[in-house]
Amino acid sequence: MKFLKKNLLYTVGLSLVLTACGKEESVDPEPLNFQFVVPDNFPQPVWDTENPMTRNGIELGRMLFYDVRLSGNNKISCASCHDQKLAFSDGKALSSNGVSGTVLHRHTPALINLAWANNGLFWDGGSTNLESQAFGPLTAADEMQQDLFELVDELNNVPEYVKQFDLVFEDKISSQNIVKALAQFQRTLVSSNSRYDKFRRNEPGGDLSPTELHGLELVRQKCQSCHAGELFTDNSFHNNGIDADFDNDQYEGLFQGRFRVSYNPADLGSFKTPTLRNVALTAPYMHDGRFTNLEDVIDHYSQKILVSPTLDKQIPNNGFQFSVVEKEAIMAFLKTLTDEEFVTNSEFSSPR
Amino acid sequence: MKRILIFAFATFLFSSCDDNDDTTDVQPVENAKTTITFDARVGNADFALNKDFTIGSRTYNFSKLRYWVSNVTLIDAKGTEYLIPDSYYLMEEVGDLNLSGTISDSLTYPARKRESIDVEDIPAGEYKSIKFSIGIDAKHNDNLSLQAGELSIANGMSNIAWMWHTSYIFSSVAGSVKEGTTSASFLAETGLNANYKTVSIDFAAPVNFSTAKGLVLNLDITKVIDGIDLIKTPKVNAAQAAVMSALATNYGTKALTFGSLSN
Ligand code: HEC
Ligand code: HEC
Repeated sequence: MKFLKKNLLYTVGLSLVLTACGKEESVDPEPLNFQFVVPDNFPQPVWDTENPMTRNGIELGRMLFYDVRLSGNNKISCASCHDQKLAFSDGKALSSNGVSGTVLHRHTPALINLAWANNGLFWDGGSTNLESQAFGPLTAADEMQQDLFELVDELNNVPEYVKQFDLVFEDKISSQNIVKALAQFQRTLVSSNSRYDKFRRNEPGGDLSPTELHGLELVRQKCQSCHAGELFTDNSFHNNGIDADFDNDQYEGLFQGRFRVSYNPADLGSFKTPTLRNVALTAPYMHDGRFTNLEDVIDHYSQKILVSPTLDKQIPNNGFQFSVVEKEAIMAFLKTLTDEEFVTNSEFSSPR
Repeated sequence: MKRILIFAFATFLFSSCDDNDDTTDVQPVENAKTTITFDARVGNADFALNKDFTIGSRTYNFSKLRYWVSNVTLIDAKGTEYLIPDSYYLMEEVGDLNLSGTISDSLTYPARKRESIDVEDIPAGEYKSIKFSIGIDAKHNDNLSLQAGELSIANGMSNIAWMWHTSYIFSSVAGSVKEGTTSASFLAETGLNANYKTVSIDFAAPVNFSTAKGLVLNLDITKVIDGIDLIKTPKVNAAQAAVMSALATNYGTKALTFGSLSN
């Protein structure tokens, strides 16, 4: 596998946007310097949220991600539902880990390569970027049920936070700065060191068996129109045939998928394509966690497609009709996407 | 193994500063300040809450009127534009609003009537028109963490739940409407980037803000709801894309007009 090797140096916004604040600013770029390393086989990430990543900002985001103070009852952190061991998913079909203890309506997605997720977050894509997204779980009653005014007060009582926010944003603690720091940390969650990646980059440890290679070929042909490229997602929305009836518009269109955001009838039953990276760790599967294991998923694509007018054209009405050998090959390949370094990297773990 | 690096350093951003300094290159002239009033009206009458108004064959009683005015720009005789910095203003007439459960367990937004904005440090010149938008530009609408002007998620004019779209509600009018024996409580809202509308209004004569004390623009509610059947569609929001877009177009094309100048 030969890659066109480039050595690009991007200087993201060297702009020094200083809307004269009256006081003298001494700009010391050193603690700010953070190099976002784009893996060789990955495309360039694109984000434009006026939230430049800094080492201190990322560290602050990590503290917040693991801090139960972010929830109304001070018992739940982001990590309660997004567990590093499970590639930042939670192993449950539908979580009831939230403050209210009620069952969530949607399955918790893994948090992987979010720096590239620039076409909407959540299963319906209703949130535009990580900054805006974080307000969702923070305030939702069945998640963290946090009063944002209280949160700012609570964090103000922790001298370490006061210091960190000042260092990172040269500003006081605010809910806006909280979500910015969380976003910075989450953009560092890059998974690019699976066996498959090493194979792609001709690195040591990058050997795939004949079965795995067969699986790769099948995935390229049948799956990568949606689970596309090296990110294994096209960041887009499709109906992959797990349901065929989208008339139920209860819970503000919960069962209608992307339609509840776009109101485009062609989007009925469409959900965001999840990445296949680390998929062996992120069971159960789909937006409602309906499939317990990967065998079920492959069986679905093979012969259990439910046909409706919005079923994506890439999927045949009667499924891909995989043979037993093909199913095993796909399964074997999917497991090569597991990235042990990602789920053990101490830079992503709880700072305490 | 060569790597592609992105240096995200030195992008130092002060999105808003507490002490308000001018951000324009143009030298402001002393006293060049004014008050821009968005006078809400129902036809020829002054808009008021909890009061019956007859529009056509229907009786309306309003309980709320809120809308974002943004990116207010004054244009001088030569066509030079002066964009008022940080200009995101929530114009409104509301009674106490219960916002509990949005970003706080119990949150009451107190009754408020706000029709005017004060503008300072206007560069000297003769101005011939004003331009502003109803709603929030895509950049800020798509990113609730950006702080500018009065933008906030604490006033009930944003959607932060995953129900809809994490973005701002551009405008919101609520109340009840009656025709004969049929009636409805309505809540007519606009939002989404496609419904961000820019309005340009020419002044009757060139204005010099070092002498003109105030500028009044009229917002006519009869024009806001013109062509919108609030008995048939009492809930206007993203789920009624066509009606919402018609409503936003009304704000953008006919609801706002030049009122008067006070010297
Ligand atoms: C109670 C469990 C729970 C908690 C706590 C929680 N999340 Fe989530 N998270 C979810 C669920 C469920 C979804 C999917 C929601 C949907 O798509 O409608 C989700 C989705 C996300 C997504 C979108 C991922 C994507 O690919 O679209 C991000 C990012 C995220 N959460 C970050 C966070 C952050 C940051 C926190 C802490 C502030 C947090 N979560 C707290 C359950 C949780
Ligand atoms: C037409 C686009 C499309 C094609 C082709 C496609 N998928 Fe998917 N896939 C999706 C979408 C969309 C979802 C999420 C659906 C949902 O949650 O309702 C999904 C979900 C999955 C999931 C669950 C992931 C998770 O974290 O929950 C797996 C595993 C998966 N697909 C594997 C495959 C495999 C293997 C193939 C090829 C045999 C394939 N997909 C073909 C669009 C597609």
